[in-house]
Amino acid sequence: MLAERRLLLAGEDDMIMARRHAREVAIALGFGAVDQSRIVTAVSELTRNVLRYAEGGRGEVLIREITAGSGGRGIEIIVSDSGPGIADLEMAMHAGYTSGRGLGMGLPGTKRLMDELEIDSALGQGTVVTVRKWRR
Amino acid sequence: MARVPIIQLDDLLIVTILEDIRDHDALALQQDLVEVLQRVSARGVLLDMSVVETIDSFLGRLLSEIAIGARLLGAATVVVGIQPALAITLVELGLELKGIHTALNPRKGMILLRRLIDGESGPGWSRAR
Amino acid sequence: MQDQQAAIITHRRQTISELETPVLQVWEGILALPVIGSLDTARTQQMNETLLQSIVETGSEIVILDITGVPLVDTAVAKHLLETITAARLLGAEVMLVGLSPRIALTLVHLGLDLGDVITRTTMAKGLELAFDRLGLRVVSRHAAPGAADRSPNPA
Repeated sequence: MLAERRLLLAGEDDMIMARRHAREVAIALGFGAVDQSRIVTAVSELTRNVLRYAEGGRGEVLIREITAGSGGRGIEIIVSDSGPGIADLEMAMHAGYTSGRGLGMGLPGTKRLMDELEIDSALGQGTVVTVRKWRR
Repeated sequence: MARVPIIQLDDLLIVTILEDIRDHDALALQQDLVEVLQRVSARGVLLDMSVVETIDSFLGRLLSEIAIGARLLGAATVVVGIQPALAITLVELGLELKGIHTALNPRKGMILLRRLIDGESGPGWSRAR
Repeated sequence: MQDQQAAIITHRRQTISELETPVLQVWEGILALPVIGSLDTARTQQMNETLLQSIVETGSEIVILDITGVPLVDTAVAKHLLETITAARLLGAEVMLVGLSPRIALTLVHLGLDLGDVITRTTMAKGLELAFDRLGLRVVSRHAAPGAADRSPNPA
C-alpha cells in the first residue's frame, strides 16, 4: 500500500499542512535533507500559486508515493485548481517568470528542483501541475 | 496570529523568524521593523533563520525587501542561520537575495554587523549584492 | 541478498562522490576545494552539499575553489560555479576562484560571462596569500635576522 495524502487548499494553513505532509512522505521514502527541502519548497511554490492566483484561491493537493517499472521509488505531488488557467504555458515556463508576478510564477524554479514537471492548463479550465522526484 | 517580536540590543535589532511563518505575520514584521527602525534609529538588523525549514520565493523576496528597506533607513541587515539544505534550494530556485549580508550563526552575524556599522574593512568579504 | 548489494553500491557511490570533491581545511577558517574533471549538474550538487556541510562544521569564512583541473568552462559550468559561490555566501563564506587558465578566461570573455564580483587569483598559492591577508595573518620566516624584511610566501 503506497502512501497517499489528499488535502483541500483553501488557505495558508492548508499550504503549511501540505508542506508538512510532503516532508513526512519524503522522509518515509528516504530522501535526504536537501531533497526534502527541494520537495517541500516545490510544494510551497505550487500551492502558493493556487492560493494567490487561482480564482477563489482554492484547489487540491495530492501527495503520494510512486514506483517506477524498474522498481525505483519516488514522490509525486499533484496540485490542481479550477482557476482561470495559464494562457501561455510556454511563457510561464520561461525563466523570466521566476522574478515576475502572476500566474505560473515560480514554475521554472520548481522545475529545476524536481525531476519531472507536467502542466495541464488552458484558459478558463483551471490548472493541474504534477511534479515528481525519484530516490537515487 | 503570531507577531514576531523585535528585540533591541544597543543599536541593533534582533529578530527570530518563526518556523512556518504565515504570510501576514511576515508582512506585519516588515512593517513593524520599518517603524521600529525609524523610532530607535538602529544601525543594524539581525535576522535569525535557524528554525526556518522552508524558504520559498515569497519569503526570499521578503527578506530582500526587509534588507533594502532597512538600508533606506540607515541600517545594515545580516541574515544568519540559513540551513545548508535551504541554501542549496534557494540557489536552485533562482532566488537572488539582494541587499542581504549573511553569516553562519548569530555570533558571527553580530561581528559582521558591528564591522558593517563601524565601517571597517577587515576579514570577511560579505557585502550587499 | 539484493538489499545487501544495493547497500554496498550506495556506499561505494557515496565514497566515490566524496573522493571526487574533497573539501580540505587548509587552515583555520580556510577551506580548499580542488575540482578535478568536468562539472555537470549532478556533480555540482554533490560538491555543494559537501562544501556547505564543511562550512557548517568548521565555521570557515573563506573557500578557495580551485578549478585548475577543470578542462572546460562554458556557460553551464560557469552557472554551476556561480551557484556554488552563492550558496556558500548564504552561509557566510566567501568563495575565491583560482586556477582559471588564460584560455578559460578568454572563453568566459567571449561568452560574455562576467563572473561579477567573484574574487579570482591564478593559483592556489596566490589564493592562500590573499586568504591569510584577509584573516589578518602573515607568514614570517623563523630564521630571519632581526630587522630583516618579512618574505611573502610567493614572489610576485
